[in-house]
Amino acid sequence: MRNLTRRLEFFLFPADSDHWLGVLRIGIAIQVLLYCLSLREDWNDLFSLTSVGLIKRDLTEAVLSANSHLIPRIGWLVDAGAYLGVSEQTVLTVSWWTLVLAGFCLLVGFFSRSAAIVAAILHLCAVKSTEALTYGVDNFTTIGLFYLMIAPLPDRWAIDSWLSKTGKQDQHLQGFHRRILQLHLCLIYFFGGITKCAGAGWWDGTSVWRALIRPPFNMIPPELLIVGKSIFPVLSVSVCLLETGYSFFIWSRKMRFLWLIVVLAMHIGIGLAMGLYLFALVMITFNIAAFGPGFAFSWKLPKGPTQMVSPRKATWFAKWLLPRSGAIFLIDIEA
Amino acid sequence: MACLGLHLFFIFSVCVRDTFSIFATTPTIFSPKLAKYWRGGEESVSAALGQRLAASNPVRNAIAVYLHGAGIEAGYGFFAPNVPNNYKLVFELHYADGRMEYEIPRVSSRATGLRLSGLLDQIADTDYEPLRQMMVKILTYSVWQDHPNVTSIRAVFGIANLPTPSDFAKGEKESYELLYAYDFTFRKADSKQEAP
Repeated sequence: MRNLTRRLEFFLFPADSDHWLGVLRIGIAIQVLLYCLSLREDWNDLFSLTSVGLIKRDLTEAVLSANSHLIPRIGWLVDAGAYLGVSEQTVLTVSWWTLVLAGFCLLVGFFSRSAAIVAAILHLCAVKSTEALTYGVDNFTTIGLFYLMIAPLPDRWAIDSWLSKTGKQDQHLQGFHRRILQLHLCLIYFFGGITKCAGAGWWDGTSVWRALIRPPFNMIPPELLIVGKSIFPVLSVSVCLLETGYSFFIWSRKMRFLWLIVVLAMHIGIGLAMGLYLFALVMITFNIAAFGPGFAFSWKLPKGPTQMVSPRKATWFAKWLLPRSGAIFLIDIEA
Repeated sequence: MACLGLHLFFIFSVCVRDTFSIFATTPTIFSPKLAKYWRGGEESVSAALGQRLAASNPVRNAIAVYLHGAGIEAGYGFFAPNVPNNYKLVFELHYADGRMEYEIPRVSSRATGLRLSGLLDQIADTDYEPLRQMMVKILTYSVWQDHPNVTSIRAVFGIANLPTPSDFAKGEKESYELLYAYDFTFRKADSKQEAP
């Protein structure tokens, strides 16, 4: 029992640097800024009840209330503004600028925690009030902002850490939060993979073809795509195996680098071939933050009160990158 | 550690629930006879997530707020098990002089275009007819505001069947199939909608 508890502690609280957090913070901040910029023209139309919009927020918020009346939404901000005598347009404009400012503060790491909280709440309000117009990228940005809110900020690249001159964050706390992200990512890929495996189209290549010619993802002309139709079955089966196997092979010392690189390549490919740039960016951010540089994992329990993880257990990528980034390479683990 | 356990339990449960839901409602490689088991599994997991409790129940509300706040209220079956159909919405604008024009929903950027595509998918997936009608009506209203002189607008919601690679190689293009059509009449002060 004692051994089991020790193994669990070893697994959940590995010592880790804060590089992953820097990657997550910067990646999600860019995501928030791009979200704001991409909707700049449509922001007021999307949320105003008086403008010409694709869908009215009152309808979306009514549907949202069926889940719970307590889920944050833009309507709350507008109502609060109305109580203070501020018009809807002003509230919406201020919300957009506040979200941009919070995203920028998060990017440079200035008042990181406050910026993460403000960005998370405003982004959540915006996404929930336009639920009918959201897609996967919005969910992943919410996830990223949620983890940033609870993570041990600031990281060493943040302006906050230069200004405050406080000591380094607890490495085990860093490792714990990174482990949550890693486990979450494994669940995402595993369930994404097995649901794809259940579709016949993912075994004969039809799904890849359909995904690539379906508007608005049809970035490549079908006349060009059809030339390479023989590789669709290989591609689609690879996607199924890659996603389902991610949860297992990413922990393997021998396979993790290969798996990570291929998954990153898959997301770059999806981004370019289907025009899902923001989706690609958020997934690449998650992958690099979770399993990128500094990730070292071994199933073996260390012996003795204090041990050093051997450099051999770090990935090749970590060995190459870490000395160049000035990171601590040997990680101490307390028993 | 308890918080982590609860957090992972929620993620896992939502993923399982949505996976069962997908298997129960869409064609998969599994036998259709299994649908009732998938549905049963989905209902059990939904109950574990408090979704079978009364809408005012504080536990249900607390779980719902946490799931939405953490961005984990939905599973991750993107384009699975099958890539969804391509839905189209076309507006027929009818003028008093008998003229007719066609219009499609307009967006100002590619980013919003992606979101519109998701909206059309949601309209198609909506089983509750009054809600679907209301969503189409709001989209139609935005078109009417650009063309206030029309006497009526017919919103035609359809599906574009994509050809398979071999059919495309033979020269076949996408074919269209009508799903729903709604006639709307708007006036400056109020709006009136006729039965489809």
